[in-house]
Amino acid sequence: MTTFFQLIVVGISTGSVFAIVGMSLVLVYRATGIVNFAQGVFAVLGGLLTYSLGQHMSLVVAAVLATVISAVAGTVVAVVAVGFRGRTTPLASLIITVGIALLAEALLLTAFGEVPRSYRAVSDHAWNIGGVLVQPQYAVLAVVALAAALGLTLFLRRTIVGQALVAAADAPRAAELIGLNLRSVAVIAFAIAAALTAIGGLLLAPTVPVTYNADLSITINGFAAAVFGGLASIRLALLGGYALGVVEQLVVGYVDPQYNLIIALSVMLVLIGWRSRGELAL
Amino acid sequence: MSTKGTTEPRRHRRSGTFRRAVLLAVATAFACWLPFQLSREDIGLYDRMGLYALVAIGLTLLMGFAGQVSLGQGGFFLIGAYTSGLLTVGLDPDTRLVDPNAGIDPLLAVAVAPIVSAAVALVIGIPLMRLRGHYLAFATLAFALIAWSLLYAQDRFTGGQFGVTVAKRLSVAGHDITGATHAAVVWGLVGVVLLLSANLVASRSGRALQAIAADEPAAAASGIDVAAFKLKLFVYAAALAGLAGGLFTFYAQFLGPEDFVIVLSLLFVVMVSIGGLGSVYGAVVGSVTIVWIEHELRALGTHESLLGWHLPPQGPSILSLGVFGLLLVVIMLFFPHGLLSGVLGTIEATRRRVARRDRTGEPPPGVSDPQRTRESR
Repeated sequence: MTTFFQLIVVGISTGSVFAIVGMSLVLVYRATGIVNFAQGVFAVLGGLLTYSLGQHMSLVVAAVLATVISAVAGTVVAVVAVGFRGRTTPLASLIITVGIALLAEALLLTAFGEVPRSYRAVSDHAWNIGGVLVQPQYAVLAVVALAAALGLTLFLRRTIVGQALVAAADAPRAAELIGLNLRSVAVIAFAIAAALTAIGGLLLAPTVPVTYNADLSITINGFAAAVFGGLASIRLALLGGYALGVVEQLVVGYVDPQYNLIIALSVMLVLIGWRSRGELAL
Repeated sequence: MSTKGTTEPRRHRRSGTFRRAVLLAVATAFACWLPFQLSREDIGLYDRMGLYALVAIGLTLLMGFAGQVSLGQGGFFLIGAYTSGLLTVGLDPDTRLVDPNAGIDPLLAVAVAPIVSAAVALVIGIPLMRLRGHYLAFATLAFALIAWSLLYAQDRFTGGQFGVTVAKRLSVAGHDITGATHAAVVWGLVGVVLLLSANLVASRSGRALQAIAADEPAAAASGIDVAAFKLKLFVYAAALAGLAGGLFTFYAQFLGPEDFVIVLSLLFVVMVSIGGLGSVYGAVVGSVTIVWIEHELRALGTHESLLGWHLPPQGPSILSLGVFGLLLVVIMLFFPHGLLSGVLGTIEATRRRVARRDRTGEPPPGVSDPQRTRESR
């Protein structure tokens, strides 16, 4: 039974990262109609930048700097991915972000090399709760994911900028008519999502070393989390992330570590298939 | 994705069907003759171009007409390759010994490969074809990742990272199909598939597909079963990828995970975007270009330094990831109808502008925008 709870604890911590990436994807999708294939790149960027900057300064300062730099990178990706009005379709934007992901891997490999990087966690101490070891890093990740979900929901519902993001996606023409600049909306959404994903990535690196090409599996796990809520719900993306993380860890613990990605992705395929019933053009 | 580029030449299509078939036959004959004149190394490259062209033709139809992007064609290619390979070697998973006499005839194995790929596509395609594009994109990518992970997880069958050597050679009526002959057969098939696909686009089903591409709700309203047509295209594309995979087995005579990396699936998307979504001939141009660029980049990447810049040991992957990523971004931003038609269109617009300026003496207002020039005519 201890093993079971231990797996759940680890699952919730990795699931938090999937949830964070999933929520970032939902935010960008709700504001721009674009599914950002390069979302996982920001998690890798966050981790690798924190490692490199951390050589010269305290890890906390490095982490803050890495988050800011990732947000700036997010604005660049936004401008390129949105493309030209009336010419770049959402599907073309998706393909553009695939290109950005490939390009980003080349740049990350050039800048940081191919060695997996890791650094000190928030604390070396681990809590022992009835035989189950809980590292403070796990708790931090889970809390950050929860806080992000709460913050994003309030942001979209209660703030004028958040309302603008939702309006821009729901009725782009009407939003433009009342004076919203769709490009600025996209830039804001991408920047917030990039910063959030970078935080998730840099918090994960102490437990799972980060490499330049880890973005693909992070993106696809994040997408799987987002699919729980049909790419529209922050809350369901959070739950989806936790569920996915726990399922993967249970597979690792009880079936075979080689099957964790296979089973997680199969769950996603079944979910997508299930969502498609009765919902034409979701 | 809009398919202005593909609907435009339709007027010429009817009158020139016969002429085009003859042209295609001549081009195919040349393509089949060419490998016998090439060096050993070039034959391999040329063969790979043909194999990837088969995959790209299927994908371009799917992207151009169904408005769906598959990021998992490499997965169908993989399934085709391992299907034909494993059926041929007669692998015993318990002893891990290869029995040369146990497998089925390679020719039969190659024929089974597209059927298996198509069957898999049918199963995963039925629920997906009703959803918007990005779901299919991620679902196919997930499928490709699953297939690739299974190579390692089920290494009793696939040999895992060590792969499987396929000793038997593909042969028809006693003639071994290897080297230049293999390349000729592949390019002959490319010709056949081009003819089939071009006819498909021009047929009654093709008109339905064009209607779907132009305006999906309108097509559905006129009684076209949109989901069914999209599914057929998806299955057709998967079958072509499976066929290419099946043939790949007897090109390499060896199967290992290295030849089926996930980036391959993304490369097929780059090939299609070069040629233009929905353009079957463009897909061939795209695959030839990409295979050639990749070959050149690999040679470049192994240099110690490039333009005074020191290259790390991962030079080849940096160069190919960077160049293909950049190509994809630039093409989708500036030439969404394909690099080929984009460049040709720009040349054509410039030619017209020059011709008009010659007539009137000065450029008419607004011709600086090629799009507007086309509309004003």
